[in-house]
Amino acid sequence: MSKESRKKLASLSFTEKVKLLEKLRQRSLVLAEARKKLKEKTAAENWGRRSETQDRNLDR
Amino acid sequence: MKEAFELVNQMQREAVIDRYAVGGAVGATLYLEPAATLDIDIFVKLSGDAGSLLISLSPIYDYLKQHGGRAEGEHMVIGGWPMQFLPVSTGLEEEGLHEAIETDIEGVPVWVMRAEHLAAIALQTGRSKDHARILQFLEQDAVDRARLERILKAHGLGLKWEKFKARFLNE
Repeated sequence: MSKESRKKLASLSFTEKVKLLEKLRQRSLVLAEARKKLKEKTAAENWGRRSETQDRNLDR
Repeated sequence: MKEAFELVNQMQREAVIDRYAVGGAVGATLYLEPAATLDIDIFVKLSGDAGSLLISLSPIYDYLKQHGGRAEGEHMVIGGWPMQFLPVSTGLEEEGLHEAIETDIEGVPVWVMRAEHLAAIALQTGRSKDHARILQFLEQDAVDRARLERILKAHGLGLKWEKFKARFLNE
């Protein structure tokens, strides 16, 4: 962010800054939720792959 | 956040707390550009806690629970915002609370610590993110440096400040 934009943001009223804080927080929460879902999905896929490998090994 | 402060002000009017002042990242937002934060730090002085050695936050927690707040670890969630109530525990925090300035969120009054106290408390706390915030205050000329140095000296943080200046400001 340029020095000029930072200065502009810093000069906003507290009300306007709080609105931005709320948007930033909302975005952080959405990202955290997406990360959690991705982690769960990856874990489930890995578990599925592991089970398939184990099944194949048992078949041998 | 407006809703959260309406309730905090109501709690003050009903004498659950004596005074309060916003600190941390939300407090710093009054002086700097907004930066992502997940919670609100509120320094408080409870009603009638003068001289008591053991300070309990349960009057605050009980009051907020009765008014729609929800406990989540060390936070109380109000209007979707986790708030952490910190009883003032040092002379610096006490001074910060007494010299806080009034601002507002959409007409709702909010007391926020002065930039110099926020920077001094950040120095006292001393985590990396606190150091980064002090640098922001300095870079953006958001603090009165002479006033900050007076506060630091008065609260025994002179040496810490000298170390900070040597490390981050090459002074």
